[in-house]
Amino acid sequence: MLLQEHSGLVYRVALRILGAEDAQDASQEVWIRVWRNIKNFRGDSAFSTWLYRITINTCLSVRRKESRRGEREYGGDEMPFLPEPPGGDADPEAAALGTERREEIQAALGHVRAEHRAALVLRHMEGLSYTEIAKVLEVPDGTAKGWVSRGRAAMLIALAEEDHGRRGAGGTTG
Amino acid sequence: MTPVGEQHWEMLERIGAYAAGELEGEEAREVEQLIFERPEYRRLAESYARMLVMLTTLGNEPVEAPEAVVGYAIRRAYISAFVRSAEVFVGALGRSYLDAFVYYLGLRRESYGGGT
Repeated sequence: MLLQEHSGLVYRVALRILGAEDAQDASQEVWIRVWRNIKNFRGDSAFSTWLYRITINTCLSVRRKESRRGEREYGGDEMPFLPEPPGGDADPEAAALGTERREEIQAALGHVRAEHRAALVLRHMEGLSYTEIAKVLEVPDGTAKGWVSRGRAAMLIALAEEDHGRRGAGGTTG
Repeated sequence: MTPVGEQHWEMLERIGAYAAGELEGEEAREVEQLIFERPEYRRLAESYARMLVMLTTLGNEPVEAPEAVVGYAIRRAYISAFVRSAEVFVGALGRSYLDAFVYYLGLRRESYGGGT
């Protein structure tokens, strides 16, 4: 049961950071590392923090092996705006959960630098505090905060560009 | 749409922090003032808010690990437990053989239960 619960954590984080294609392989790699290093877990931090750390490190090493995809920079000259959802902001959750929107989010995440993406996922999708993020990423609190902030900005730019591209290609908003 | 450059990156991050509810006191009031005065900043804050709702909503969705992943994790647990037990067993066996060999060569004068 405990293993099942933690398998969910590992897979969920790998899915957010790497996408569906690589999440399964990365999750398996995480479990190899977990059992190899379980002797070194001294309980200084929560088990979930330790597991997050191994998961993030595994995901980042998977990304490093790939050809580097750069973070979207401010090459353009426009503020990154997202269009209002068709139903307005009154029902934001319904607007956010469309399949197309979900794919856009995943695609946009792929354009955020890996470390910033990891920090962003931990903060806004896993709900960790900056102190916890700093522990997981093994960086000072200020660095964790900076990575989340840059990740958030890069994500908005990528999402706005995804949306702009889709509308330019004659797609629909959803 | 409003032209922006490198110098606006900081503003982009500040409005992001404000939208995430991470600014307090004077800093928050400054950004509120900017949002009030500049429609493009207001729109930016709204865009951030939309994006953060999407991320949180997606993050709150339950994600089940595929059976293959759970099965793999369980198999690795068994393998790991087996390897650890094997390490202990082989280590103990090796030490016993070494002790016996040392005793056989007469390098250590110890009695093994005989008391002679």
